[in-house]
Amino acid sequence: MNRAMRGAVICVSVIAPVMGCREGHQVRWDQPPPGVPLVQVDSATAARNAALEPGVLSTVQATPVLRWKGPDQRPFEVALRSAAPEAGHSRTFGTITLPIALRTRGAGISQYPCTSCHQGKKVVMANQRIADAHNNIRPVHPAQTGAVCSTCHLADNVELLTLMSGEHATLDEGYRLCAQCHFRQVESWAAGAHGKRLDGWQGRRVVMACADCHDPHSPAIQARIPFRAPQLERTRGYGP
Amino acid sequence: MHLRPFLLSALRSVTSGDRRYHLWMGSLTAIMLVGAYGYFVQVTRGFSVTGMNNHVSWGLYISNMAFLVGLAAAAVILVLPAYVLHDVDFARAVLIAEGVAVSALVMCLAFVTANSPGLPFKWWRLTPVIGLLNWPSSMLAWDVIMLNGYLVLNIVIPFYILYSHYIGREPAKQKYVPFIYISVVWAVSIHLVTAFLFAGLPARPFWNSALLGPRFLASAFTAGPAFMILLLGFIQSQSRYAIPDVAIDKLATVTTIAAQANLVMLLSDIIFEFYSPTHHSLSARYLFFGLGEHHALVPWIRTGIALNIAATMVLMIHPLRRNRRWLMPACATLFVGIWVEKGIGLVIPGFVPSPLGEIVEYSPTWVELCVTAGIWALGLFVLTILVRVALPIELGEARSPHLEQAAVNKVVRPRAARPRYEEVRPVRFR
Amino acid sequence: MSDDSAPARPATADDGGILQKPMDRRGALGFLAGGLAAGASAISACSPLNAATPKEREIRLLEWEEFTQKHYRRMTEAERAETIERLERLAKLRDNEDVTIDTTDAQPGVLFGYAFNISKCQGFRSCVEACINENNLDRHADTQYIRIFEMEDGVVDLDSADPTYQHDVPAEGHFYLGTQCFQCANPPCVPVCPVGATWQEPDGIVVIDYDWCVGCRACMAACPYWARRFNWDAPEVPPEEVNPNQHYLGNRARHKGCVEKCTFCIHRTRKGRLPACVEACPTGARVFGNLLDPNSEIRWILANKHLFRLKEELATEPRFWYFSD
Repeated sequence: MNRAMRGAVICVSVIAPVMGCREGHQVRWDQPPPGVPLVQVDSATAARNAALEPGVLSTVQATPVLRWKGPDQRPFEVALRSAAPEAGHSRTFGTITLPIALRTRGAGISQYPCTSCHQGKKVVMANQRIADAHNNIRPVHPAQTGAVCSTCHLADNVELLTLMSGEHATLDEGYRLCAQCHFRQVESWAAGAHGKRLDGWQGRRVVMACADCHDPHSPAIQARIPFRAPQLERTRGYGP
Repeated sequence: MHLRPFLLSALRSVTSGDRRYHLWMGSLTAIMLVGAYGYFVQVTRGFSVTGMNNHVSWGLYISNMAFLVGLAAAAVILVLPAYVLHDVDFARAVLIAEGVAVSALVMCLAFVTANSPGLPFKWWRLTPVIGLLNWPSSMLAWDVIMLNGYLVLNIVIPFYILYSHYIGREPAKQKYVPFIYISVVWAVSIHLVTAFLFAGLPARPFWNSALLGPRFLASAFTAGPAFMILLLGFIQSQSRYAIPDVAIDKLATVTTIAAQANLVMLLSDIIFEFYSPTHHSLSARYLFFGLGEHHALVPWIRTGIALNIAATMVLMIHPLRRNRRWLMPACATLFVGIWVEKGIGLVIPGFVPSPLGEIVEYSPTWVELCVTAGIWALGLFVLTILVRVALPIELGEARSPHLEQAAVNKVVRPRAARPRYEEVRPVRFR
Repeated sequence: MSDDSAPARPATADDGGILQKPMDRRGALGFLAGGLAAGASAISACSPLNAATPKEREIRLLEWEEFTQKHYRRMTEAERAETIERLERLAKLRDNEDVTIDTTDAQPGVLFGYAFNISKCQGFRSCVEACINENNLDRHADTQYIRIFEMEDGVVDLDSADPTYQHDVPAEGHFYLGTQCFQCANPPCVPVCPVGATWQEPDGIVVIDYDWCVGCRACMAACPYWARRFNWDAPEVPPEEVNPNQHYLGNRARHKGCVEKCTFCIHRTRKGRLPACVEACPTGARVFGNLLDPNSEIRWILANKHLFRLKEELATEPRFWYFSD
């Protein structure tokens, strides 16, 4: 019996320490897997916005979103804004200081440019109803907020938007207008928690503008029928 | 020198017998062929012919494997008393037990092979150097080592003992007893490792409990000795190999105690799951009561538990346990009840509902049923062969022709020379 | 078979004496040779050398090489190149597809993280559609890596959620939550694989070597998020819908009998592009980026939004967070 006990003790003392050891420590989400060195990224190299020049507005193509059908289905043209404040865009929302690239609105707006019809003449904005030439405009947002046409649009130049500060914003800078009320959403958007990013996760940061998803006159995302539901598997039989 | 006659004698023992024996082996072969056809369909058409799906990804095969590892481990109930405690009553039954272990392990390995499409051809991936055996992390890797190691132990030790008897020599205790000690620990370990395979997964709250390992052992030590009792009783009545009645009585006692422990653990499980039900108890609720309109397993588990309770109660009554007319049916009932509780009643509810709350039920298809039947037939075939080889040697009828007659008479007293028990006390159950 | 020590049993024995029939050496040799010939013809019928056309013969020879293929992590560069060449050739021969299978390794200093905005998700399942197309998922079995659950307001409970909704979305009084493989930092699926066919790459993606996997499905039992799928059948993708930009560890053609799962579109993300689900989402509910970049969008979300992860108590540390506006 002594030999049995000795054998059992040897077995247990060999097996037990080996069995329980699975790395020992838990890996946190911000740590790479065990054995992989932690390489921190600094913001300058992470940005890699090589195409930017301060103060210059340049238009480039961004990768179309995979099979996503946006308001229009043309490849996106993107206006890259630089990091310099002289470019005129307020790019600081809270802690966000990275340059952002916006899609140019021009090509996406139907019946653009406005001056093709409204040539230099002051537009009479009937503040109670929308003019017949733009009968695709459903004034849901104005009805909800009590806004009228002249709240946002400049009668002298309908390609500009009016801000509460008295400044004018181009149609490309629509976010400045939205930010007056929806400042939380615009902060999230600038940071990346709201809206869509084009191109990729690495390299220049190209984002979509507010009006690319939200029709300013009827901003809610429309309900739709979803893609087909999954079939919870049933037993697939097969004959002999 | 003796090996060729040993193998030829074994072949002769296996291939000669009366009509009933040939009918038995013939029908097992027929079932194995049906199983082989089912396996062929599974391999060529893919596993979609089985009832398994992405939600219930383990089915009948792993259920049977979990149960059969218990059967294999139960050989230790006889090995430990016979070799380590030198209990003479078990000495005649222990080789049979090791044969049961071998056939149960063959069945386990066959079920694991049937379950994985990559096996058996990609088996080399499970080997340490040319493949990659993920030991010690993976419990399945542990299981591969444990099952194969126990199979080797249970082939080598009885082979040595039988071969020694065949050539008329007493087996040298210092040669095989260390391996016996290893096999005793190993037997408990194979079943614990199989339990840890399930219990170590926090993704499956139905399995993820500390009680699963002990519960596996309790049910193994119930079903294993129950099967041994049936087999030994059969051998007692059908052959001249004398197994003392007291051995069967002792086995019946072990079975009863283990069956009681199993029921206590079941009670513990039920209180654990249902006293204060949480979402983690949904699997248990599915098993015992059904979830909404999904209740496929409820009749099974209730029958299984009823069988277990009934058999345990019969076994707890001493006069009944000692009466073969009650003992044998009770053991058979217990075997079936444990199979239901530990096979289907363990593996399938672990997958229902899925970790994301989806409920997809499982029912085996004809392919799985054929392959399962074929593998059980294979196990019984192997068991019959092993018993058929062992008995003539142990009875002293099979001896190497190269022995000197004088040496035989001097060294080994053939065991059949001892008074046969049925001459002293008639066997009551035939 | 004649045994010198035992006499032949008479025909009156129980088995008719068939097993002890005396046979001379010539007869025995003839019998054995006949059996050998039968066995050899059976084996040669299955060998690669007996294929019908040269194309079939080449396919069988390449498949034979696939059988003895090494584990991906043990391959040298040359072996990897050889394997890729063989796989691309097989795709061409079998399905007449010109594919490029990439083996780009993880970029240093990158750890992928994913955030899902449950206020924004409207349950459109555009992500599911994009994933199926991008990853060459089995159309016959309708394999989907992504699951979208319609959940009742006020209850974050997957057990009562409905993934099979098929009505106009978003539905009143409900919100939507999507799951897929979360590429956990402590993946419970990795240690259970007996052959080591699944592991975590340095950029955090948990990958599978499909050719090494033996199909035991232990990883599927171990995953707490139901992220893994098994190929019960050989997967079928219509040739015109196959995405030819593939990665060895990602969306290349799988065979029946191996496990697969979401790999964060490894063939796209290792080249700086977004996963298909992120690109496809019409509402911008999905955000993807590098967790080791302190200025990334995902890091801002982790610092400034209210987040949760599923089954946090299991200590799997999924790199996939849910947040709301």
